[in-house]
This record gives sequence, C-alpha cells and structure tokens, in this order.
Amino acid sequence: MAKEVFMPKLSSTMEVGTLLQWLKEEGDPVEIGEPLFEIMTDKINIEVESYEEGVFLKKYYQVDDEIPVNAVIGYVGEENEEVPDEPPELADEEESSDAGESAKEAEQPAAEQPEESATDKVRATPAARRVARENNIELSSVSCSGPKSRVHEQDVVKAINTNRATPLAEKIAADKGVDLTQVQGSGARGKIEKADVTGYAAAQTEPTEEPERVKLKGLRKAVADKMLESTQSIPHVTLTSEIDMSQVIEVRKSLLPVIEKQTGYRLSYTEIIIKATAHVLGNHPKVNASLVGDEIVMNKDVNIGLAVAVENGLIVPSIPDADKKGLAELTEASKTLGLKARDGKLSPAEMSGSTFSISNLGMYAVDGFTPIINPPETAILGVGRIVEKPVVVDGSVEVRPMMVLSLSFDHRAIDGAPAAAFLTELKDRLENPYGLLV
Amino acid sequence: MKTFDLAIIGGGPGGYVAAIRAAKEGLNVALVEGRDLGGTCLNRGCIPSKTLLKHAEVIEEIKDSRTYGITVNDFSYSIEEMVNRKNKVVNQLKNGIKGLMKQNKITVFEGYGYVDDSKTVTVKTGNGSEKLQANNVILANGSKPFVPPLPGLDTVDYYTSDTIFDISEVPSHMVIVGGGVIGLEIACIFNSLDTKVEIVEMADRILPNEDPDAADYLAKEFANNGITTHTGSKITSFESDNGKTTVKMEKNGETKSIQTNSVLISVGRTPNLTGTEDLSVDFDGKFVKANRDMKTSIEGIYAVGDLIGGFQLAHAATDEGIKAVNHILGNSAKKESIIPRCVYTFPEIASVGLTEDQAKEAGYCVKAKKVDIAANGKAIAAGETSGFMKIIAEEKYGEILGVVMVGAHVTEMISQATSYMHLEGTVDEIESMVFPHPTISESLFEAGSAWLEKGIHFN
Repeated sequence: MAKEVFMPKLSSTMEVGTLLQWLKEEGDPVEIGEPLFEIMTDKINIEVESYEEGVFLKKYYQVDDEIPVNAVIGYVGEENEEVPDEPPELADEEESSDAGESAKEAEQPAAEQPEESATDKVRATPAARRVARENNIELSSVSCSGPKSRVHEQDVVKAINTNRATPLAEKIAADKGVDLTQVQGSGARGKIEKADVTGYAAAQTEPTEEPERVKLKGLRKAVADKMLESTQSIPHVTLTSEIDMSQVIEVRKSLLPVIEKQTGYRLSYTEIIIKATAHVLGNHPKVNASLVGDEIVMNKDVNIGLAVAVENGLIVPSIPDADKKGLAELTEASKTLGLKARDGKLSPAEMSGSTFSISNLGMYAVDGFTPIINPPETAILGVGRIVEKPVVVDGSVEVRPMMVLSLSFDHRAIDGAPAAAFLTELKDRLENPYGLLV
Repeated sequence: MKTFDLAIIGGGPGGYVAAIRAAKEGLNVALVEGRDLGGTCLNRGCIPSKTLLKHAEVIEEIKDSRTYGITVNDFSYSIEEMVNRKNKVVNQLKNGIKGLMKQNKITVFEGYGYVDDSKTVTVKTGNGSEKLQANNVILANGSKPFVPPLPGLDTVDYYTSDTIFDISEVPSHMVIVGGGVIGLEIACIFNSLDTKVEIVEMADRILPNEDPDAADYLAKEFANNGITTHTGSKITSFESDNGKTTVKMEKNGETKSIQTNSVLISVGRTPNLTGTEDLSVDFDGKFVKANRDMKTSIEGIYAVGDLIGGFQLAHAATDEGIKAVNHILGNSAKKESIIPRCVYTFPEIASVGLTEDQAKEAGYCVKAKKVDIAANGKAIAAGETSGFMKIIAEEKYGEILGVVMVGAHVTEMISQATSYMHLEGTVDEIESMVFPHPTISESLFEAGSAWLEKGIHFN
C-alpha cells in the first residue's frame, strides 16, 4: 500500500510551503530519513525526510508551487504500485455543498478526463472543476480567492462573468501566450476584443526598461504580512534613551579574550545588551509579557528574540532563558543562531518562544529608530550605534561613547510609566554593568 | 437669439438620428432642414428606389409566372400609380420622423442653415431669416447628384436620382451614365418596365469599388436579362435632335453612338456645401475633413455623412451622427465601425469588410472561399438560384475580414456576417453554429465549412 507524502506543518502560522527542489525523482528508491524534497515556509527552508521506505512513486507538484499544509504531494510505496493521477483532495476543506459532487467525482476513473492535463495541476474543489468543465474554462486561468490556493466554484463563476473575450481574442491570446485575466476589455461590459489582446501583447514586448518585479512570496511575504499585522493591530509607542557605554566598553574589553578562549566566539556589545536586558526584564514582567487574544500572559521565562537580517527578509531566532545564561553562553548562542539563520538552517523550535526581541542596527550609522513589535510580544528594543559625543559629566563637558536605545511597546498591554521605568533601569544597568554580577 | 446645446444642419439619416440620440441624452437640440425631413435617403434615394424596385420585382415574378405553373394572360401597370405609391411610402416615413422630432422635443427649423465659426446658425427661409446660437454643431448637409461637364449635356434633358423617381412616362430607351450602385438599381427598375437600358461606365467593369467576383457575376446576369453595359467607355458628346438624343462615346479609340430618348446621369454624388461658406473648416478634397470622432478642425463643430465622403451610405451617416453625439457627451469612438454595403439589383449584392485585394494589401495572409447558391434547397424551391457567398478570412486565426453575398435576399442576410465581424467570431464559429433549414442563409455555413475544408455539400 502506497503511503502519502504530506506537506508538513512546521509552525503554527504555516499555511503553505513553497517547493524549492525535489531531491528524489519518481522511481528512485527511498530510505527512511532520506530527504525527499526541500521546502520554504514563512520562516525557514527545510529538507523534508521520508517516513517510509520503498520507491518514490509520484510527485504532484513542481518547483515553486505553493502547496497547502497537509496536502498530499507524492507517494512512496512498492515498485509499479498504482497511485492516483491527481493528488487527493484535502478532506477537511470540502464545502458541504460539494460533498455529493466529490463522491461522484472520486468514482470516475482518471482516464475519463484526459483533456484536463493543464487543469490537473490546479487545486480546485470538485464543484469548481465541474463548472469549469461545463463552461470550457481553463482552471489555470482562474484566480482563486481562498487562502489555500484552491479554486472554488465562485472563483470560476466570477472568471466566467468577468473574463469574457471574443472567440478571435481568445485565439490570439492563446497563440501569443497572453493571460486574458491580465487584459482589460474595451468591448461591451468589459468584453475582451482583438485590439485589447494585441495591444496588451505589444505593450508586453516593448523594449522599454521595465522595472524588475519580484513576487511577494515565501519569507518576504511572511515578513510583509507580519509587519502589516503588527503595525495595524498594535498601538506602538517608542521611547528613546541615550546610554553612556564607557563601562560596557570596559567590560567587553576585559571579557573578550576570556570568552573567545572559552568558546571560540568574540563577545560583542549585542550579548552584553542581551544580558542586561534579560536581567532587567526579570524585574519588569509586564515588558516581558505576551498579548494573546484578550489576555496578557506574564511570561516566566525570559527568551530573547534576536532580529537577524537574511538575504530575503528578517528572521528572529530565540535565545531561551537568556536571564539565566552567562555572557559566554549567550555569545555562543547568539553567534550560532545568527549563523544558522543566515544559512537557513534554523529549526522551527529555534525560531519560536521569544518573549522580548532586540533589533540591533548599531553596525550602521543609525542612532535611534522605531522598531516594530514582534507579536505576540509586547515590546522590542532597538539598538543604535555607539558614537563619541560631548556630554556634561559633573558640570564639565566630556567626550563619552554614547548609544541610543529605542523601546517600542504595545500600549494595549503596557503603559508609558512602566515602560519608561524599564528603560530607565536598563540604562542604569548598562551604565553600571558590574551590577549584573551582583 | 435662441440658444441650443446642439444644432444639427440637415435632417437626413445622419442628422435626424443624431438629433434624437442627443435629445434622449438630455441635450437641447435644434434641427435645421431646408427641404424634406429624411433627406436624400428617404425622399430621393434609398426608399424611393427600393419601392420602385419592389414594383419591378413583382413585374418580374408575373413575367416568370409560367415557370411556377401559373399563367397570367394579361397584365398592365401604371407608372403614375407606382409613383403615387412611392410617394405614399415616403410620406408615411416622413411623418414618422416628424412625429419623432415632436416626441423628443427637438426644435425643427425649416430653412437652410448657414453656420459660422462661432457656431451661430442663420436659418434662411424664403421670406426671411432667423439666428440661433449653439454650443455644438453637427454638419449633416448631405450631398447632391454630381453632373459632370460633358460636352453637349447642357443641350439635352437628362434625369438624375433627384428626378427619376418622379418620372411620368416610361421611356422606351434609356442611357445610364455611370455603372455604380445608383445607376445599376435604376437600370433594374427600367429593365423590368421594358425600357431598353444601356449603361455607360468609364471603368473596365461595373461596380468598380465592389468585389470583382460580385461585379462580374452581376454583369453576366445583366447581359442575360437584356441590359447592355458599355464598360471602359468615355462619353464624348450629347447631341439633341428632335426630341431624340444621340450619345457618342469612345472605347479603345473606337467611337460608337447610341440613339436614346432618355438619359440618366449617375456618376456619383458631390457634397452639399450650402451654408458652409462662412466656415473655416479644413477640407479633404471636396469633402469636409472630420476625424474618428467626427470632429472638424473647429472645436465643437462636427461633420457627418455624405459631406465628409467615405462610404456615402445612409447607415454610415447614421453611425457617424451617433458618434458625433457621443463625443459631444464625452465618449470617444472606441473603434472603427464595420459598415455593410448593399446593392439592390437583381440579384442583390451585399458585402461587408475588406475585399480580397484590400485584405492582401493590408498584410493579411488571406484565404477566400466562394460557395454557389445554385445547389441551395430553398433557393431552388423559390427559383432564386443565382448568386454565391464568399468568405474572406485570415488564415491563422480564421478571423473574418470580409464577406460578399450575391443573390436574392442577401441584403437581409449580410448582417449575419456583420455580426460575426462585430463580435469577432471566426470561421470556426460559423462552422459550429446551427443554421435553419431550408434557408438561403445556409450558404454562409457552407462557405465557412468549405473554408475549413469541412464542407458538407461543397469542397
């Protein structure tokens, strides 16, 4: 009996995975634990391993396809075993009105629909397939409204109503490879005519310097969605404070060789700031809270998320129990997580659970900024550069290495005063870092 | 001075239809007509000729009745009663237009309209004049028969299409100068009335602007029916002698002369420029120049119909009039209209789109397919087997570029082809559409199928 290969659900927010490459071809023998394919989720790229041993029988998708979680994307079984030509439908998504149709559809041998080769690859409900077949609509030309890239009956109906073209326009579009859904019709009620198609085709082939268009997908899409959700749903307030980093610089200077010898990693200001922040968060549970639904969850663990810039976006791996780790341990954790993030090798566990995040832009000529909260967290710390400035110390002007911290907080969960108290204590701790040892 | 949103000069099919459309769209409209509502089309063109052609058809059927097993021993006709019936038809339609003007609250000025650049219209009637001011003007002045300055023509009596439909006596012989649509239709009328008709045409065939297959077919039918055509012939003089007229012509250096007792001049029509003397609009040859939206070179002044040349067909003028109104209302014409062309001869010719040569010239990869009506069931039953249908289509997509039909009732069937072109159906859709049986229209299906090499009764 052939076993299905599913698109795994790798995180609570994952809805689709993008197929990056097949690592096995149809007909290849497969061992348990051997990687079958690589996918990209909203957070990471990961190789998916086989849970079965046998022959890789069937693959239903192609590279760059976006595949809903739990969808059957292939089969592993015995050589020459029969598997469906089309991936089975996702049972939990059936609309009730489709149920009867679906049963009928399943009884039909695949051989009865040889004409549907292009249409087969499109995910669609049986009702959508029926309406498309009855109206001679290519499912691949129908854009779907559902979140799971499935074409529903209403999408096909909409396509029939809005995507009308004259027979001649359709022929020319097919010949020139013009996607009619992209063409604006000038005829009666938006009917697409010959001139619309030829005009569109001519515009497409014009040799003008077209801007490069990159589709918002994968990590970029995940970052985009998350940022939008955060800024739209969270009332952000950002407080800034300037820190005299003289003593932190001293601490780093003396500990750097020690930690390097012990771990092989060089201590950076980031780890000292993580250490100080984690320590101070212990005294300010509100700032370490999560806002989930209509509850403020006071987290007992202090897990610091560290924003890491990667090629196509931003990833926030989490350092668990940062308040309980020493600087050597923190340095090792932050360095290895950063490296993994940049290589796309983070495990889902390493990317979840943070209770407070830090975003450090101190390597650039940036002083202060307004960081965006990583929900469900309720605050985020933005770290600017260290720059020597004239400051007044005990009535006289001195040159001191200064750094701006920007604390954004969710005003639904935290008010200004407790946030300010946290930032004030953090400033005090960084200006007197030896207190951390106490 | 009265002011209007729109003043239209000319109440023909270009002007009066535009007036109704504009009024229905809420504009305050003045229509200025110096002669008869309905214009040339209704009073001296389409409608009178179609009325008399129907009379001619009845005569032809009576003459042919023996074919159907019916013997008509004796019959006669009265040209006076025929012309009276024609006038009744014209009056009925003219009253219809009058009623429509009233119903749509269009102010009709009876007089010739003289327009200046500031869109002031002076309406001149026999005994005075009136001025009106308009925001927009549509010039729909129309045209009149063109009478060329042929030697001796001024010494003889001759008819034009303005006078021929009120003829009081059927002549025994008629020379028709000009083998275009007008001349040929009138030739059919008088041929049926037993006038010996001779057509003189300068070009090397009749209907020089129409599909050559159709023109050749009609020439043969004319010859069979006793109408003489002198193509490639140039008239050198008219001489009047005791009520008889001698028409002298020259063909390939050889001279010929015909004795006749009536002459019809139908060599074309010239725009009626009365009332445009004070306008500084641009011209294109002898025609007023207008763009796709019917705009002239002066903002707010539009020109439509025979005044701007083109097809010089009533329905073309109507379409142009509506386009002008649309532009006044802020809507530009989206594309060129497809104008069908009808010739009401025996048999009729109807065509639409490009001819084969025009299509090739336009750069299309052209394939044409012609199917005879001779084998069509309905045509054989009705004894109307002459003619053909021809589809001119582009090879790659089967886009229909033109259709030519020759035969009985084809003027009623050409709209089927026009619909295909207008809605951008292709030869494949003609082939897959069901045509009713028995009809002559099935020939269009046959032509489409044969074009695709799927012909049923034809290959």
